[in-house]
Amino acid sequence: MFLAFSSRAGEQAGNLAEDILLGDDFIRQLMSVGEVDLLIGIPSYNSAITIAQTVRAIEESVHQNFVRDRIVIVNVDGGSTDNTTEVFLESDRRKAFDRRGLTSLRTIHRVSWQYGKTPSLGMAVRTIVAAADLLRARSCAVVSSTTIDLTASWVTNLLRPVHKEKFEYVSPLYARNRYEGLLSRNLLYPMVRAIFGLRMREVYSGEWAFSGRLAAHYLDQDVWAEEPVRARPEGWLAITAMCSGYACCQSFLGQKGAPTVGGVDTVEAIRQTVGNLFWCMERYQEHWLDRVGSQPVPTFGPEHEILNNGAPSNPEKIFELFRTGVAELEPVLASILTQETHRQLNGIASEDAEKFRFGCELLVRALYEFAASYHHAVINRDHIVQALVPLYRGRLYSYLLQHAHSSVEEMQADSELLCLEFERQKPYLIEKWNAKS
Amino acid sequence: MALRNDNLWYKDAVIYQLHVRTFYDSNADGIGDFPGLTQRLGYLQELGVSALWLMPFYPSPLKDDGYDIADYTSVHPSYGTVQDFKTFLNAAHDRNIRVIVEMVLNHTSDQHPWFQESRSSRDNPKRDWYVWSDTDTKYQGVPIIFVDTEMSNWAWDPISKQYYWHRFFSHQPDLNYDNPAVREAMWQVMKFWLDMGVDGFRLDAVPNLVEREGTRCENLPETHAIIKDYRRRIDLAYPNKMLLAEANQWPTDVISYFGLGDEFHMAFHFPLMPRMFMAVKLEDRKPIIDILEQTPPIPEICQWCIFLRNHDELTLEMVTEIERDYMYDTYATDKAMRINLGIRRRLAPMMENDRRRIELMNGLLLSMPGTPVIYYGDEIGMGDNIYLGDRNGVRTPMQWNGGWNGGFSAADPERLYSPVISNPVYGYQAVNVESQRRSEHSLLNWMRSLIQTRNLFQVFSRGSIEFLDPSNHRVLAYVRQLGGATVLVVNNLSSSAQAVELNLQRYKGHIPIEMFGRNLFPRIGELPYLLTLGPYQFYWFRLRRI
Repeated sequence: MFLAFSSRAGEQAGNLAEDILLGDDFIRQLMSVGEVDLLIGIPSYNSAITIAQTVRAIEESVHQNFVRDRIVIVNVDGGSTDNTTEVFLESDRRKAFDRRGLTSLRTIHRVSWQYGKTPSLGMAVRTIVAAADLLRARSCAVVSSTTIDLTASWVTNLLRPVHKEKFEYVSPLYARNRYEGLLSRNLLYPMVRAIFGLRMREVYSGEWAFSGRLAAHYLDQDVWAEEPVRARPEGWLAITAMCSGYACCQSFLGQKGAPTVGGVDTVEAIRQTVGNLFWCMERYQEHWLDRVGSQPVPTFGPEHEILNNGAPSNPEKIFELFRTGVAELEPVLASILTQETHRQLNGIASEDAEKFRFGCELLVRALYEFAASYHHAVINRDHIVQALVPLYRGRLYSYLLQHAHSSVEEMQADSELLCLEFERQKPYLIEKWNAKS
Repeated sequence: MALRNDNLWYKDAVIYQLHVRTFYDSNADGIGDFPGLTQRLGYLQELGVSALWLMPFYPSPLKDDGYDIADYTSVHPSYGTVQDFKTFLNAAHDRNIRVIVEMVLNHTSDQHPWFQESRSSRDNPKRDWYVWSDTDTKYQGVPIIFVDTEMSNWAWDPISKQYYWHRFFSHQPDLNYDNPAVREAMWQVMKFWLDMGVDGFRLDAVPNLVEREGTRCENLPETHAIIKDYRRRIDLAYPNKMLLAEANQWPTDVISYFGLGDEFHMAFHFPLMPRMFMAVKLEDRKPIIDILEQTPPIPEICQWCIFLRNHDELTLEMVTEIERDYMYDTYATDKAMRINLGIRRRLAPMMENDRRRIELMNGLLLSMPGTPVIYYGDEIGMGDNIYLGDRNGVRTPMQWNGGWNGGFSAADPERLYSPVISNPVYGYQAVNVESQRRSEHSLLNWMRSLIQTRNLFQVFSRGSIEFLDPSNHRVLAYVRQLGGATVLVVNNLSSSAQAVELNLQRYKGHIPIEMFGRNLFPRIGELPYLLTLGPYQFYWFRLRRI
């Protein structure tokens, strides 16, 4: 039997059927916990190998920095077939007592629940947010169960701005090697910055924090069943915070490496992130259509760091996929892009690999035309997003070629130029957006 | 009535700690005395306590409230005579109340004739009765105990031009237990009181008896050997006596004072006490569970002695800095409440005079494993005076009634050894024995009922303990068992109502009988047993299979 849960804002019997369902067992566990000051949520799916370290990092952070707070760690699992839940509940229960004291002042609760038989980050986050609301958590954080770089200081740096400094949304910042985070650096960050007017770098990340008040606001939104939110809720969370007037900031966590589990599938990554971004543009258009330029976001720690190490993975293959994709998607691209943009795209696709350049001006124009086409739904929206993949590959190859021997400073300068180009061409986006289809 | 012949009486005791000076003044000199205490034995018998622990009543300059002893085999004239003490002792025994007296082994007053002789010259036969040195650099690194007043563990003696060792105040020089003469002299002191009929000694500051270079001068093997020798001698000649150790140490260090059952009979569980206060404030059982999980088993004939408050500051030595800061921030916000590494407040003010919290704390005290000690005045919820010096704020006169001097003394108020508490909340007009006797539901009568209930069931004093682990961390639940008797204790540590599901499958078929009202609760079945508790409420259930 499941209990119905309804948001505080809308506890009306008539809405019960539409409310999210939290299981009896989960509710019972939350009852035992009671009101908390801090809730840290860990979505998981087959994370038995890594989740123990996640829990260890959280508890270490709590023991050092939040000793008097009432804490719960909530694991929401998407139907793991390894023993993720068991590892979460039992790992590293601190039994090695200090010589003259205790392990911690208070009980640090661990609560675990399986929200479904297949993983969905959106459902996981929804569950975490619901738990935070039920427990009246003052501050919340979500951390990935697979980030092996997660340390106690990461957790502290994520939580401190919202728990002690009165910010309501905290986005992470990382140090990455020069060839990591390129989707964010070359597309997501500059586009989010130009459109929504805030220079928040890592909108699509594995860790973030928010206030209990913002959690209640999230819970009240009727979007959790939407596919873009079910797949990649973090973008919507960040953009919602930005557009709803909540005090946002960034906090430097540390060096982030490539994910150890599953790797990155470019098609899926773009489908989820850019699809989510376009969907957010749709939802919050009244917030960004009038916005001009961008503002810095309060930042704790370094703005970001690009480390001068790493190696690109197979650039030649990337270029080949770009050319092939542009050719194969010819009719699709023709329906999305203007004739001129399409012509220029075909032009660069025929260039030699060694001399290839996918300039900022063309890239931005093309992306904005994609966004406008998504808005006007010229074809199936999912197809529009997927058609972006070869363009991203082209841009990626161009970037790798251009910066093969660049310094970190040169790469950062180039990224900034891209951001300014997005901002410069925003009127073009608005024009295309508002045009009659 | 002769005392019961029972060499384990201390396990079943409920001990009442008092200073004769604070209790009742019979001769209107402003100071409590033994004749006065004798007159008040009826009150103590009525309360239900079975043993008294008397703070030092020996001749003393009273610079440390009597722990600076100038004559071990006499009674301070302010409190009476040795004969007065004997009269009191016999009267107590007649009421089946045993008497435990202080034995300060570690040090004397600098006014004690032994020290006066020792310091008179370096050739004096008693020179070696104390610990002397040409320099103050020996035993480096040994912590100072009274950090608020002492800069060093060495003091310069201008008479014999050497330093002498003192772990406590500088007017309390440490005896030298490497000297057999000292050991023998202290045995004669103990014999004096044992021959008179006292039932036990609380040995003050016992970890500090012996010094050795390169150590903390605490808990040394030589100290244990000395105590074991005293114990052996006592067992040979004086049956049914008890030695209680004051060793403010971590449990794993304290258990060494039990030996193999051949050293101390009892020892205070110091680390548990602040954690009870922490648990109630945090509304989380974790501090209590953690410390008891770290407490090793002790010999069968031995017993922990547990307490909430006593004559000293609520010591925060056996906690971490984080825990100490938390205790200060929650229980001693005014710095005047703090002394040394502790809090000089009484139970009731620390509980903000919240009757429910006071009851909960006493319920914990009397249901957890160990022999409980009740500090005088806490049974009526007496307050404190943090503006008196040292720890005197928790040593004010007992409040008997709402009249002259709270019924403590017929002397002029200015003559009292200490002012009586007189503020509107805890003052003698509001808090006193007589008015609480008249009110059926007073704290005093509630305490009597609690003690009486505990005394009916030996499971509390001698039973095992098994902690339950309900998911609601605000509830502390445990089962006490002795033979066929089983008691379930459930405590709500929280300021709000709580529901708790207890896994009692092992007791399936038993009926819980609430022990104060004797009402039946639903039979325990297969499913988790659901209980709801009001703020700070607790239950004691007998589990009976009928």
